[in-house]
Amino acid sequence: MTDESDFPLQIDEDKNRKSIYCQFCDSIMLKPRTALYMEDEFTLPLMHQKKKPSPSQPQTQVAQEMETENLKNFWKVKDMFTFENIGFSNTVETAKYLICADCEMGPVGYYDIRSKECYVALKRVKHV
Amino acid sequence: MAKTYDYLFKLLLIGDSGVGKTCILFRFSEDAFNTTFISTIGIDFKIRTIELDGKKIKLQICTTAYYRGAMGIMLVYDITQEKSFENIKNWIRNIEENASADVEKMLLGNKCELNEKRQVTKERGEQLAVEYGIKFMETSAKASVNVEEAFFTLASDIKAKMEKRMDVNNPPKGGHQLRATEPARKADSWLSRCSLL
Repeated sequence: MTDESDFPLQIDEDKNRKSIYCQFCDSIMLKPRTALYMEDEFTLPLMHQKKKPSPSQPQTQVAQEMETENLKNFWKVKDMFTFENIGFSNTVETAKYLICADCEMGPVGYYDIRSKECYVALKRVKHV
Repeated sequence: MAKTYDYLFKLLLIGDSGVGKTCILFRFSEDAFNTTFISTIGIDFKIRTIELDGKKIKLQICTTAYYRGAMGIMLVYDITQEKSFENIKNWIRNIEENASADVEKMLLGNKCELNEKRQVTKERGEQLAVEYGIKFMETSAKASVNVEEAFFTLASDIKAKMEKRMDVNNPPKGGHQLRATEPARKADSWLSRCSLL
């Protein structure tokens, strides 16, 4: 997790100054200077959901009942193959959620299936 | 922006359900973390970066039989389920009908840690692989046996095939240009960290 007060420190000429890692298992996601900083409001499910969905629940219902959070600081990655390691969830409406490829924690961001661009929330990753 | 890798390989894991395809790649680790959200939605694919002979290779790996553009296929059966082994030939036929003819294939007999429940001998696996002219390994996603090796082998075979083709098309002019790369993250057991079978 990166504190909001540290965000400006991470941005160098609109790019990520440091490498980006999973905050839980230290899997590397992005090398320095491979993503563009941008601000845009997007709602992501919380990484820790209090309520456990039952396996019989349909996906759409699970998606509706998730606890969410509004995020606005993102790293934009134009080509998904820029990532060193990353996982993609199945599609929910018009997005796929991004998760750590190693420990599968997430979402750390989302992939917009229309623009084919990825957005990683600064708050949900570690900058080292 | 310039490409930050040398090759991109699309790989598929196919085989009957329950053979551990998901486990080989997608570790649903509810025991370790609260990932109920992701395990309910399900994982589509992963992108992994490995290094082979100084070349940076991106692997896009998924477990759905979506063959378009696939360059490598892992055919997976469960050594404790005879039926999953018998079905390999159906999967091969499916590949022949749908995938590109020169797709690189490999046969994996998974769950080899469950030797006491074994229904398919290693010899039968080897024999089938010989029959199809493909490589074979017994793997255990649970005990981290050969999973990483299998992926490196498949990636390496695809790379060799591509380079051979490139050499035919553009004979080397002598003098390789080497690109400075950061030391790659050691390929530790990311492919074999599955703890759930």
